Amino acid sequence: MRSRRRGTLLSAPALILVALVTLFPIAFSVYLSLSDVQAGVDGYEFSFTGTDNYATALQSSAVWRALRFTALYTVVSVTIEILLGLGIAVIIDRMTRGTGLVLAMLLIPWATITVVSAQLWSYIFNGVYGLANHVLVTLHIVSSPVTFLNSPSGAFLALLVADAWKTTPFVALILFGGVRAIDKELYSAARLDGAGEWRILTSITVPLIRQAMITAIVFRVLQAFGIFDLPFVLTNGGPGSATQSIAMLAYNALFQDLNIGYGAAISCVTTLVVVVLAVVFLRAFRAENVHG
Amino acid sequence: MAAGKGANIAGAAIGVVFLLPVLWLGSSAFKPVSELGEFPPSLLPTPPTTANFSAAFGTNDFGSFLVNSLVVGVLSTVIVVCLGLPAAYGLSRTRMRGSGAILTGLLVISVFPVIATIPPLYVLLRTLGWLNSYQALILPYVAFNLPLGIWTMRNSLLPISQEMEEAAELDGAGTVRTILQIIVPQALPGIFVASVLTFVACWQEFLMALSFNSDATYQTAPVGIALFGGAFQLPYGTIFAASLVALVPIVILVLALRRWVVDGLSSGSVKG
Repeated sequence: MRSRRRGTLLSAPALILVALVTLFPIAFSVYLSLSDVQAGVDGYEFSFTGTDNYATALQSSAVWRALRFTALYTVVSVTIEILLGLGIAVIIDRMTRGTGLVLAMLLIPWATITVVSAQLWSYIFNGVYGLANHVLVTLHIVSSPVTFLNSPSGAFLALLVADAWKTTPFVALILFGGVRAIDKELYSAARLDGAGEWRILTSITVPLIRQAMITAIVFRVLQAFGIFDLPFVLTNGGPGSATQSIAMLAYNALFQDLNIGYGAAISCVTTLVVVVLAVVFLRAFRAENVHG
Repeated sequence: MAAGKGANIAGAAIGVVFLLPVLWLGSSAFKPVSELGEFPPSLLPTPPTTANFSAAFGTNDFGSFLVNSLVVGVLSTVIVVCLGLPAAYGLSRTRMRGSGAILTGLLVISVFPVIATIPPLYVLLRTLGWLNSYQALILPYVAFNLPLGIWTMRNSLLPISQEMEEAAELDGAGTVRTILQIIVPQALPGIFVASVLTFVACWQEFLMALSFNSDATYQTAPVGIALFGGAFQLPYGTIFAASLVALVPIVILVLALRRWVVDGLSSGSVKG
């Protein structure tokens, strides 16, 4: 009994703070999304409008375009980062010298401020003097500089490269944790049995690091779905609104159109998608644990 | 193993590829403005100049953005550890009711998109008169980083033997003394991981910083770097000089605590 009360007392400050600053505001946000919110000098006036904001959002082509972009971006970027991260984790695991140094080099992109990365890649992908163009022209892949950020596919590519540069190391480190725990005897035994590298990767490595894979995928998918910093700075959602993420759309509704109710509705939709994805993933994770 | 040497070369190549963009940032920060717009670009600045740094720290006063980042990051990290460690202890070492459900709930909260809390927190902070202040950022940064911090520290508490604690208790030590003298020294790796992950997250955070503090007096480094603007062309020299300086503390911190960061990330930070 004493131990139980002590546990509650020790945990309470942290848990109350988390609830007050995350759960309570999200509940409040649902209320905002059902209201017309007018800002006054020192407060707000709320008038209940029911599901009007949601109806507007669901009929808006901008919302659907942003959802489509965000979903596509999430699937493509996470797939690339998981594949690259897996390859890197396997290579680092086989290194006999300099592992620490390479891990340190990988930590630097991970620690880089996303906004800095966005500015840097916008300079690299500049259509007139960017380094990317210099490389492409030198390799004779293109004859003159390409204006990456002026075409939807070029802007998408720039975002993918910038994202993969910063986030692949994070994925690689998570997967490396799984790979390094694998008993190396298994590899030798498989080689003796004549298994090739590809067979070893798909039949031994990947199944044995399933937990790390799921952790990495869950974190990356949910993070990617809320993406804001990178497109805000690198492409500003453009060209047009081709790379406008759902979080950017909510931000613009709030701070450009000053429409708090509508912004809250869009951010509630985003939250709903993320929570549904999280629950689905957690369920799958549990099922894996039960069967595995 | 035969793969060793090939893997060493491949690994080194991967490391270099990931490092190249930062080296490009470093080289560009020292180029004169005219050279930044040249095509083909020169590899190294000729001659190197510190003019961009003067522009960033002189006219643009980037130093005050860095100070704000430091204040917000350090205070948030300290509070996360001070509140998170007792919570981690309570959730792992006592027979507290519902701790399993609480831990799962924390995991779900830790992946909430930041945008979810922007509209309500903006309205609440404005009503309290707290927009454009340090607490406008510290409060949400602490709340958003506590869940993972609690998980990380809890995981590092699990393998610690209970015997020393029980002995201390028999000697009449109170809970606070037990935590400080017995638990903290053994949980240091977990505390390091939680601190470094929290500080890195705060140092990088952009959306809340942009939304809640529109007054430059309280803006943090990422906001400064994003909003440096020219009327026609981005002042890349100034941006890169400021960026390079903003990267230095975080890179030193991460490399110094490398072992714990790698362990923290590669143990998945969160898997129980």
